[in-house]
Amino acid sequence: MLKLFREIGRAGDATIGYPFAPYEMPEGFRGKPEHNEKLCIACGACAIACPANAITMELDADQSHLTWDISYGRCIFCGRCQEVCPLFAIELTREFELAVKCKDDLRESCSYEVARCARCGKPYAVAKEVDYARRVLARVGGAAAADIEKVDLCLDCRRTDDARAFQKQPREGGCA
Amino acid sequence: MTAKKNTALRRCESHVQAVRDTFPGSVLDAAWQAEDQVTITVPTDMLPDVVEFLYYGRGGWLPNMVANDERPLKGCYALYYLLSMEEDDPGFVTVRVEIDPHSMEYPSVTPRVPACVWSEREAFDMFGLRAVGLPDERRLVLPDDWPANLYPLRKDSMDYRKRPAPACDVENYSFLYEGNAEETTQVPMGPLHITSDEPGHFRLFVEGEEIIDADYRLFYVHRGMEKVAESRLDYDAVTFLADRICGICGNAHSVAYAEAVEHAQGIEVPVRAQYIRAILLEVERLHSHLLNLGLVCHYCGFDTGFQHFFRVREKTMDLAVLLTGARKTYGLNLIGGVRRDILDEQKMATVKYVRELRNEVEALVDMLVSTANFESRTAGVGRLDPSVARDYSPVGPCVRGSGIARDVRFDHPFDGYKYLTGLTARSHDGCDVQSRTLVRVEEFMDSLTMIEQMLDGAPGGPIRTEDWQYTPHKYALGYTEAPRGEDMHWAMVGDNQKCYRWRAKAATYSNWPILRYMFRGNTVADAAIIVGSMDPCYSCTDRVTVVDVKKKTETVLTKDQLEGYCRRRTHSPLSGKGW
Repeated sequence: MLKLFREIGRAGDATIGYPFAPYEMPEGFRGKPEHNEKLCIACGACAIACPANAITMELDADQSHLTWDISYGRCIFCGRCQEVCPLFAIELTREFELAVKCKDDLRESCSYEVARCARCGKPYAVAKEVDYARRVLARVGGAAAADIEKVDLCLDCRRTDDARAFQKQPREGGCA
Repeated sequence: MTAKKNTALRRCESHVQAVRDTFPGSVLDAAWQAEDQVTITVPTDMLPDVVEFLYYGRGGWLPNMVANDERPLKGCYALYYLLSMEEDDPGFVTVRVEIDPHSMEYPSVTPRVPACVWSEREAFDMFGLRAVGLPDERRLVLPDDWPANLYPLRKDSMDYRKRPAPACDVENYSFLYEGNAEETTQVPMGPLHITSDEPGHFRLFVEGEEIIDADYRLFYVHRGMEKVAESRLDYDAVTFLADRICGICGNAHSVAYAEAVEHAQGIEVPVRAQYIRAILLEVERLHSHLLNLGLVCHYCGFDTGFQHFFRVREKTMDLAVLLTGARKTYGLNLIGGVRRDILDEQKMATVKYVRELRNEVEALVDMLVSTANFESRTAGVGRLDPSVARDYSPVGPCVRGSGIARDVRFDHPFDGYKYLTGLTARSHDGCDVQSRTLVRVEEFMDSLTMIEQMLDGAPGGPIRTEDWQYTPHKYALGYTEAPRGEDMHWAMVGDNQKCYRWRAKAATYSNWPILRYMFRGNTVADAAIIVGSMDPCYSCTDRVTVVDVKKKTETVLTKDQLEGYCRRRTHSPLSGKGW
């Protein structure tokens, strides 16, 4: 009994002030993912990596916009999105107070304009992603940037171009 | 399988040889999935003989059996009886049989090796495979209102997003009474568990206050995770789902799943990642054991102790946040390694936490064992006879409290545990609640030592490898020692980057079947503490039904009534009800 009282006395008051005082989580805590829509190029890597399908990407009916969407209700705070993002556009914060009064408030989304193929007019990729690819190629320069204008074409048109170019090449050997 | 004569025997080959010698012509095929894992295929009619021989004759224990619908691959169903060989030549021997998809029947092993009972019942629920001779053919996993001919894990059965219409409106599970007394009272306990607020319905058969027998219905919170993993998730995302099997020991599941795939695919996990995995498994054990020690105080009516154990437990949660970024669901495992390294400053902070925890818990344990209530409420209560334990292959502190030092960390050292020195599996031979509690206390202290050793011993280097080739339809076992005992995962990946079959066996799955033996001869007031000493892990709440065998009356006790009775042991909630 004496031991018990000594221990109680030694331990003192274990209660903390939260929620009336702020509660700081340490560095590296995996809390609410924060999306930076300016940096994001809507490449879709996070949507593919997300084990819980909390992040989704959907194309509008008229195919003019692609909507990036996160549901904090589904999110499991694993941080895979942060790991796969090539542009550091999504990062887990230390925020953990996510309760809302209305379920819809758990969603955040952002729409991105879809680029159309310069030749056939078909929508093929998000404009920001196309622009990013163009800037990367221009920066690298040299042989990589030789066909830089082709980023404006959709995959089908580029394939057609490649096939035509291949057809024009002189053939070696006789193959029936 | 050629040119074996001159070379040294492979791991587990002695067992295969022994089966060959004892049952000529029984081994149709033997294949190694990993260094210490071999699968032998035997004819269906020899199955009970071979499993019994390996179990009792060669020092085998049976974690579970895995059923698999291999019709798309081989035109048949297959059963895999997993045996952990823990005497000579340790390793895992899996006995595989193929089952004809027309007859759907196989001879039951349960009459020979009781440890198979749950797995064989589950194989019928999920696949419709009937064990001929199985003494208990009731449903195990599926709910009472599930249609009779829908077997969810068959490849051609159902979409995981759909639910069949309920086939009946009433609970129709029949509780079995195995005692001799003709008249007993039935005490229903659950579907909300009194101690851990989790669902499971216990039926205690009592005479006066003494429990003569008990039966229970669990799986109220069966979530169909294996089906979800097969249908929706890619195989590399299943580690995150495995993390959520349990709210207490999820990391142990996550590691077990990752290692099942890694063993099957022959992936070498970097040594540093192995150390980190083991450290995190021990961090998980710290908080889990403190939780159980706190609950033991609570059941003994020593709520001050409960509060203090939970106060100290908060430190282990902080340690987890520091190392993983989350209090629970660490989410750090990927196939091939871990996602987060332990940096120098985190290492220093961990060492500091470990030192504090050691001092604080020593003081608390001292306080607990010197409390009069503890001794009187736990000594001699909830006896688990070692011979019952041998028959049912229970795991963790449950079996170690009955003098059998089974511990995967030492029987089949994996990950960082391979490099530990000076530690052995703990055991106490009182066979009662007290022994199980003391095992947990000692293991807690050992965990602290292990964390220190592994922090010091972890070499530098990468924490993840991506250097492997994905091969479909290879399978293997992954195993960890969770706080409650061994977790055993069996995984086969498919040709679509998904799990073809994933079988996750939680520690408590092995422990439930022995509970009725632990109940027998104790009083109703001890029921809660006995279940608590198993540290059960179902997924959430229980009612208790008390049935008087003499008067054929039934009363449902609420959680508070029983919990209060467990603490006070006066004012029986049964009094005044004609008992």
